[in-house]
Amino acid sequence: MGFCVLRVKGVSAGYDSMQVLRRVSFHLEEGEIVALIGSNGAGKSTLLRTISGLHRATEGEILFSGAPIHGKSPEEIVGLGLVQVPEARQLFPNMTVLENLELGGYLRGRKYVAQALPGVLDRFPVLAERRRQRAGTLSGGEQQMLSIGRALMAGPRLLVLDEPSMGLAPLIIEEIYEIIANLYRSGTTILLVEQNAMGALAVAQRAYVLETGRIVLSGSAEELLEHDDVQRAYLGRDYQHKWEK
Amino acid sequence: MAQDIADKLSFEQIRLLQAERLQMTLNRAYLNMDFYRGRMDSLGMLPEDIGGMEDLAAFPFTTREDLRDHYPYGLFAVPLKSIVRLKITAPPLKENEKPIVVGFTRHDVKMWQDLMVRLYEQLGVTERDIVQVAFNYSLFPGAFTFNQAAEAIGATLAPSATNSAVMQLQVMRDFRSTILATTASFALHIIDTMRDLGADPGSLHLRLVLVGPDPLPEVTRSRLESAFGVPVFGLYGVSEMGEPGMAGECPAKEGLHLAQDQFLAEIVHPATGKPVPAGQEGELVVTTLTTEAYPLIRYRTGDITVLRESPCACGSTWSRIVPILRRTDNRLSVRGIEVYPEYVEHLLRSLDPMLHDFRLVVHTAWGVGEQLDLLVARTRGNDFPGSNKAQYLDLLRSHIRRRLGLGVRVLLTDPDRLPGEGLTYKTVFRNAETAQSSAAGSL
Repeated sequence: MGFCVLRVKGVSAGYDSMQVLRRVSFHLEEGEIVALIGSNGAGKSTLLRTISGLHRATEGEILFSGAPIHGKSPEEIVGLGLVQVPEARQLFPNMTVLENLELGGYLRGRKYVAQALPGVLDRFPVLAERRRQRAGTLSGGEQQMLSIGRALMAGPRLLVLDEPSMGLAPLIIEEIYEIIANLYRSGTTILLVEQNAMGALAVAQRAYVLETGRIVLSGSAEELLEHDDVQRAYLGRDYQHKWEK
Repeated sequence: MAQDIADKLSFEQIRLLQAERLQMTLNRAYLNMDFYRGRMDSLGMLPEDIGGMEDLAAFPFTTREDLRDHYPYGLFAVPLKSIVRLKITAPPLKENEKPIVVGFTRHDVKMWQDLMVRLYEQLGVTERDIVQVAFNYSLFPGAFTFNQAAEAIGATLAPSATNSAVMQLQVMRDFRSTILATTASFALHIIDTMRDLGADPGSLHLRLVLVGPDPLPEVTRSRLESAFGVPVFGLYGVSEMGEPGMAGECPAKEGLHLAQDQFLAEIVHPATGKPVPAGQEGELVVTTLTTEAYPLIRYRTGDITVLRESPCACGSTWSRIVPILRRTDNRLSVRGIEVYPEYVEHLLRSLDPMLHDFRLVVHTAWGVGEQLDLLVARTRGNDFPGSNKAQYLDLLRSHIRRRLGLGVRVLLTDPDRLPGEGLTYKTVFRNAETAQSSAAGSL
């Protein structure tokens, strides 16, 4: 077991009177790719908002590289190297690809941006080709690449991907997952938050399953792919009775 | 592979893993199990009220009675279609009483097998070893795991379960078995057989002997070690869980290493249920951490032990328990078969309303129960059920043998000639330092 990059320890959170997260605990080690899977409304977004400092936990601790980050501002947290690729990309459509990438490294300063840019453009030849094009004119898959590229510009110690496959065609999803797998192979620590359990489990090493705000399963991706509960949730089957055939 | 995990995890990392898995277990118990959901609801409790291991004491204990009372499905956390193995781990003790039936998913089966592999590897067993497994499979539901784990390592297997000690010795010699896994009682019987045959332990190829599932008393260990000339190790499992590999000894013999990635152990005072100070003896309470089909939260094992958290001489940081010192209830073990004196009383009284009193006399050899005698005393002398004395004793003997799965001797005596009870209900122990080879039979 390596160094613990992120440790979420008994975190609860919610909105007004509605509790969404109930004592959620999980961790990621350096160099790992871990999936957090859950259906709509399981609390994935609230959990990500809480980790990134946009939302306050009502109890529990969040440790990043061993130091508490709950209570820090979102900027401080990004500055520490916990960088998110948001759901639905959230690019600046009227700015060029290059401008969007540069914004990703904004907190690190000009010099850093100039150093990091060639590497990111190398990784995504499509973006290099379209660097002067407005982000809004890119295809869905290209926008997702840009969104990941922008996050890489921030020099992440932990890259958090929120539903990277959402709204994309199956072939493009495969391509995005290939990119994610390559990032992992080159040493990036990745937290992959997904509704698409089968896709996420195909690239992740380990996974946690979130259900109505609680972690109900964890294990190696291999184990979970075989797991009846995961298959049930994924196939939409349900059971009422223990003696059901 | 399993051993890798054990070697790599530091104390801190084990605690982290335990905390995450405990939360998961509580959540699953609440969402999927009738028994725990009902219990939490009645206490107005939610799984998130237990924030970590430090809060666990607020959760009520689970007892053997709970497992019986919620037969058949109350403690199942998955539907039957997800279950690949079912075991009756405790048969009913009275008429109309329910048995304890435990289910295992594919994951559970693999987890227990991995734990046994870990115990073998901890003792240096490799694919070059030949593991001879000698258990009575029908009496010990966890016996198969010894075979499966040995096969998983690649160790060749000399299958032998209820064969005679003479034949055991023959295959042990001819197939050059290097590991013997058996009960303490049968191991002692093999030694006696060796002596009777004039066989030389030097003609065997044994490297070590693994003894279970009953605790291995030190006196038995030294007797076996001197006779076989190889080290002898013990292991531990909660009998109601039906599997033996929860903890096991390493070569340092400084206690049994607990599989802390799979179980959370607490030691409580058997009467008050409060945690005892570190290093003091008390009842082992176990919470499963990854078990899917039949998770247990704070299960009272009835086994008295001591938990040691200091690093072991073998280098492992995993906590250890000392071999089980005694039980909190009256359960006895005779030749590896569990006997409850209360159950024997129930059987006797249902056969003979004129029964005045009785004693169980357990003959032990080297600390292990070898033979059970029943001394019965009646209020009225000659009014025997079954017409005469001989038929009466025969009736008791055959009935009790059928129910316990254990041959017993039954003797009639006067009430005032019954020996005084010891600490165990209606039971006395007689220490005969030589096993009765005629009675030990084949187990």
